Amino acid sequence: METSPSIVARDVTFSYGDKRAVDGVSFAVERGEILGFLGPNGAGKSTTIKMLTGQLTPGSGEIEVLGMPMPARRTEIQARIGVCFEEKNLYPTMSAAENLRFFASLFGVRHFDPLPLLERVDLAQRAKDRVADFSKGMRQRLMMARTLVNTPDVLFLDEPTDGLDPVSARAIRALVRAEAARGAAVLLTTHDMMEADELSDRVAFINDGRLLAAAPPEQLKLAYGQRSVRIRRRAADGSVADEVVALDAAETPERVKAAMGAGDVLTVHTEEATLEDVFVAFAGRGLAS
Amino acid sequence: MNPQVVRAILRKDVTAFGRDRFFVFLTAVGVVLYPVLFWLLPGTVDETLRLGIAPASIERLIAAGAEDGSGLATIGYDDPASLEAAVLAGSDGIVAGITFPDDFLAATAAGEQTTVALLLTADVPPPVEDLMRGLVSEVAFGVVGEAPPVDPLTEAVVLGEDRVGDQITFREQLRPLLAFFVLLVETLALSALVASEVQQRTVTAILVTPATKTDFIAAKGILGTAVAFVEAVLIMALIGGFATQAPILLVALLLGAALVTGLGLVAGAFGKDFISVLFLSVAFMIPLMIPAFAAMFPGTAGFWVRALPSYPLVDTIVSVTTQGAGWGDVARNLALLLGWCVAAFAVGVAVLGRRMVRL
Repeated sequence: METSPSIVARDVTFSYGDKRAVDGVSFAVERGEILGFLGPNGAGKSTTIKMLTGQLTPGSGEIEVLGMPMPARRTEIQARIGVCFEEKNLYPTMSAAENLRFFASLFGVRHFDPLPLLERVDLAQRAKDRVADFSKGMRQRLMMARTLVNTPDVLFLDEPTDGLDPVSARAIRALVRAEAARGAAVLLTTHDMMEADELSDRVAFINDGRLLAAAPPEQLKLAYGQRSVRIRRRAADGSVADEVVALDAAETPERVKAAMGAGDVLTVHTEEATLEDVFVAFAGRGLAS
Repeated sequence: MNPQVVRAILRKDVTAFGRDRFFVFLTAVGVVLYPVLFWLLPGTVDETLRLGIAPASIERLIAAGAEDGSGLATIGYDDPASLEAAVLAGSDGIVAGITFPDDFLAATAAGEQTTVALLLTADVPPPVEDLMRGLVSEVAFGVVGEAPPVDPLTEAVVLGEDRVGDQITFREQLRPLLAFFVLLVETLALSALVASEVQQRTVTAILVTPATKTDFIAAKGILGTAVAFVEAVLIMALIGGFATQAPILLVALLLGAALVTGLGLVAGAFGKDFISVLFLSVAFMIPLMIPAFAAMFPGTAGFWVRALPSYPLVDTIVSVTTQGAGWGDVARNLALLLGWCVAAFAVGVAVLGRRMVRL
C-alpha cells in the first residue's frame, strides 16, 4: 500500500505566454482525503488540475501522483485517475452504457459491466437511452459514473454539482464521500462554499495563481473568521432593526445583555464565519469576483 | 501507440459514423447514384461529322466524291430554309450546314464570285467551320476541274496513343471524377467527426485516460483512410474501373484516401462547427477537383494543375483505365502521391495536435 500522499505539487508554475497562471503552488492530498480547491474564475484552479492530470506540462516545479512523477509517467498515472470535467463532454449519440463501455475500454477494463455504476448514479433504467435525451442532472450523474469506470485511486472533480437540482447534487456528494471512504484521494474544485465546507476535509484557497492557505474548513473559519450573534428587535415606533454583536470579545456579554433589553426581541441567531469570509480575509476580494 | 486503445476509439468512431444519418445518406447516395449515373452515360463515341447540304444536288456531288471512312457524312436538303431548320433542331444528327446558291455551279464554272452560307450554331467548335470552308473549296475545284499545280500531300501524325475508332467516352472521362469525388466526400465525414470531438471536448476526456494524442490521431487516420478507400474501391468496382491493372489502382486509391484523410484532419481541427467544417472541406475540395475535371477535357491541364496534390491520383486513374499504363508508367505519379500524403498527414497531425493541447 502506498503511504506517500496521493497528490503532491511542489512549487509548480505555469504561464500562458507572458501571463503567469500558476505561481509556485505547493500542496498535497492524502489517500482518502477530500481537498476542496477554491478560488474565483481565472485564479489558476483549472490550470493546476490540467497539470495534475497530464493535460499541461508545468513550466517548473514537480508533480507526483500516486508516487509517480507527472508528466514523466503520464500514461501509468492516467490509468489510475478519474477526471470529472465541468463541461458535459459525453458522446450524445451513444447510450449511457455505451459511453461507460467506451471509456472502460480505454482503461483496458476487462468484462466491464456498466449497470452497477449506473445504479450508483440512479441511471440504470436509462442505460440504453441516448445521452442526447438526458437532462443536465442526468448527464452530470453519468459524468460522475464515467469518472469511476476504472475504480480510480485519485479523483479530480471540477464543479461536479454545478447547476444541479438539490437531489442530484446530494446524490453526487454521497458518491464523492463513498469514494473517499474507499480510499480515493479527491481534489474537488467548486464555487459552492457550502459544498466545499460540507465535503472537504481540507480546503485550499488559490488566487492570482498563488495558494493562499490550505487547512480544514473549521480551522480556517476559527482562525480567520468571526463568530457573532445577530439580534433582531422591534423598536417602540414599530421599526425592525438588527444588531450584530461579535463573540469572543471582552465586552460581548455586556453588549448582548444591552441589546436583549433594548426592545421587543424578535429573533436571536448565532452566526459563524463562512469560507467566503475567510477567502475575503486572505484575498481581499470575494470568490465570485 | 497502444493498439488496444486505438481499436477502442476506432470501434466508437465506427458506431458514431454509422449513427450519423447525414453521412450514411451521403455514402449510400455515392454508392448507388454515381454508378447509376455512370452507366447511363453514353459508352461509345460517334466519330462521324454530319453536315447538312442544300441543295440536295450538290450534296449528291459531294457524297459521290467522298472517300469511305473519311469521318464525314452529308445529308441533302432541298432548300436553304429546311436546312436551317434542321441545323437549329439538330435533326438527322447534323451539327452544321452549307447552303450553296442556286447558281453556284454555273457561276463557279464561269469564274464568277459566289457566296456560300455556312450555317453554324454557337456551340460548333472552330475546327468544324474550317473543315466546312475546305469542303466548299473542294467542291469549287471539282466544278472547275482544275487541280492545283502541286497537289499537297497530307499525313496525319497522332501524338501519343492513336485512338481513332477508339475514342475515350464521356463515361470513361467521368471515372476519375467519380472516384475522387467519393474520396472528398469522405473527407467531409472525417472532418465533421474530428470537429465534433474537439467542440464537445470529448477529446479532452479521452486524453486524461491512458489514450494519447498519437492513439487518437492514429484512430482517426485509420478510420478516415479505411472508409474513403473502401468506398472508392466499391465505386470503382461498380463503374468497371478495375478491368486493367487493378493492383495499381488499389495502391493509388489507398494513397488518395490517405491524402484526403490528412486534409480532413486539418479541416476538422480548424472547424468550429459543421458549417465551418463544410466550408473548409469545400475550400480544399474545389482546387483538388480541378485535375479530375481537366481529365474530362484532355489538353486543358496546365502546369499549375499538375502541381495540385490530386493530379498524380487522377492522372494515374486516367492512364491506367484508358491507356493501360503499367507500374513503370505511373511510378512517378505514385511517388508524388505518397509525398503529398506524408505532407498532408504531417500538417493534419500538427494542426490537430496543437488544437488538442489548447483546449
